[in-house]
Amino acid sequence: MTTWESVQEFLSEPTTWSGPDSIWARLGEHIWVSVAAVIIAGVLVMPLAVWLGHIRRGSGIATAVVNIGRAVPSFGILAIAFLVFVQMGAGVGEPWAVLVALIALAAPPMFTNTVAGIQAVEATTVESARGMGLTEREVLTDVELPLSTPLMVEGLRIAFVQVIATATLGALVAWGGLGRFIVDGFARQDMGMLIVGAVLVGLLAIAAELGLSALQRATTPSGTRPAR
Amino acid sequence: MRKPFRASAVGAILGLAVVATACGSGDGATEGDPIRIASFNFNESVIVAEIYAQGLEANGYTVERQLNLGAREVVKPALESGEIDLIPEYTGTVAGFLGVEASADSEATWEAASAAWEEMGITLLAYSPAQDKNAYVVTGETAEEFSLTTVSDLQPVASDMVFGGPPECPERPLCLQGLQDVYGLEFSEFVPLDVGGPITVAALEGGEIDVGLLFTTSGVIADNDWVSLEDDMGLNPAENIVPAIRTEVVDAYGDELVTLLDSYSEALTTEDLTAMNARADLDQEDPALVAEEWLTENGFLEA
Repeated sequence: MTTWESVQEFLSEPTTWSGPDSIWARLGEHIWVSVAAVIIAGVLVMPLAVWLGHIRRGSGIATAVVNIGRAVPSFGILAIAFLVFVQMGAGVGEPWAVLVALIALAAPPMFTNTVAGIQAVEATTVESARGMGLTEREVLTDVELPLSTPLMVEGLRIAFVQVIATATLGALVAWGGLGRFIVDGFARQDMGMLIVGAVLVGLLAIAAELGLSALQRATTPSGTRPAR
Repeated sequence: MRKPFRASAVGAILGLAVVATACGSGDGATEGDPIRIASFNFNESVIVAEIYAQGLEANGYTVERQLNLGAREVVKPALESGEIDLIPEYTGTVAGFLGVEASADSEATWEAASAAWEEMGITLLAYSPAQDKNAYVVTGETAEEFSLTTVSDLQPVASDMVFGGPPECPERPLCLQGLQDVYGLEFSEFVPLDVGGPITVAALEGGEIDVGLLFTTSGVIADNDWVSLEDDMGLNPAENIVPAIRTEVVDAYGDELVTLLDSYSEALTTEDLTAMNARADLDQEDPALVAEEWLTENGFLEA
């Protein structure tokens, strides 16, 4: 049987399209955990990042955070979190360990891009705003945040794409998501299942990339948009 | 039926990723080349591989360890293509993988398996009396509630139960396939976990699964007062531990190597395996150390 035939065969099975192991169920699990991880990471790091950006400090911290973030192995966090949650009585197959690992992955780029984005707003622009009598709060909400939104969205985009790709690891600790097709397809030598899983993860990451790139363009204030 | 994708593909991927030092196939082993010893991805296999490795090292052989390599789907192509030389195997499962008849008779199963693998350049040396079969395990409470002692007892209740095991289980004749074909068991759900490891144990402990696939030599079964259901219809064949080695390596090193490996197989018992697994799985002892002590106790290493 050729690879293409095994893909066709996997796609023609009814369990591929309905039930708890279907593409839809796995896609749903994958998306909700990825979205939840990015939202939680944002809630955790954005306030500090916005404040650091506003007072124009912590660019050193921002760089350090992203470097540490790059060095931390997601699978290591996942394995440790899995064991800790199981000891705490969480059930096998629950998403908590995966969430923790993905939050740790999503936080650094969001943090760094927010700090850097706000600091990248021209100091003269901020001073002009102050000179016009804007309060510190207004300087932040009306000048700094709108001007730094594109960079913040870029942080979100980087985080989200990484999270989608990495959520596949969850299948190694008995969670679901699209990684299930890759792990199970490999274990069963089911090339069709394996390929479909890998392609779906790729497509989902590309969709997130394109969607957030569009958002990034849309949030760029017209005056700062580079000429096309 | 879905067919396995080409073994060489797996071999190639794993070859690059894991066995980066191995130098391809059929390069004609000569005496003096290191013997590349592999194991499957569970402690028992690592322990037995360590017994081979340390025993051979003590006798002046150079060995290279490729332990925890993966499941048989990965290891078998690596062995056949010459990326590894030696691995502790299980006679019944080998027979099943090669498509020859396996039975409860150790001798017949070994003969069938070794005859079939010989053509592919793999020699099965003499088998050990030590056996490790797939165990279908329930908790003490589950066993009591549904009065389960044998696998057949699951028939009236299986449709409401969740079965957990390694991801390859649904395609394996000694796992879900066999439970369905031989016992007529249709579980309500299958949950892919790991190979009789911590995830399966945690799932059974936590009640996410009702029946779990472990091994008969798993230390956790007795430790938790779990019940290994008796295989009353004989689904599982004999599963004696046996060194599977590339014939080229046997030819290069000759009788002395075979005699050494035979002596370890002869001394190893099922009780030894169960005790050593418990130390590695439950007490988190280093498999290499557990193997070393076994070799010492059995007089293969100087104390």
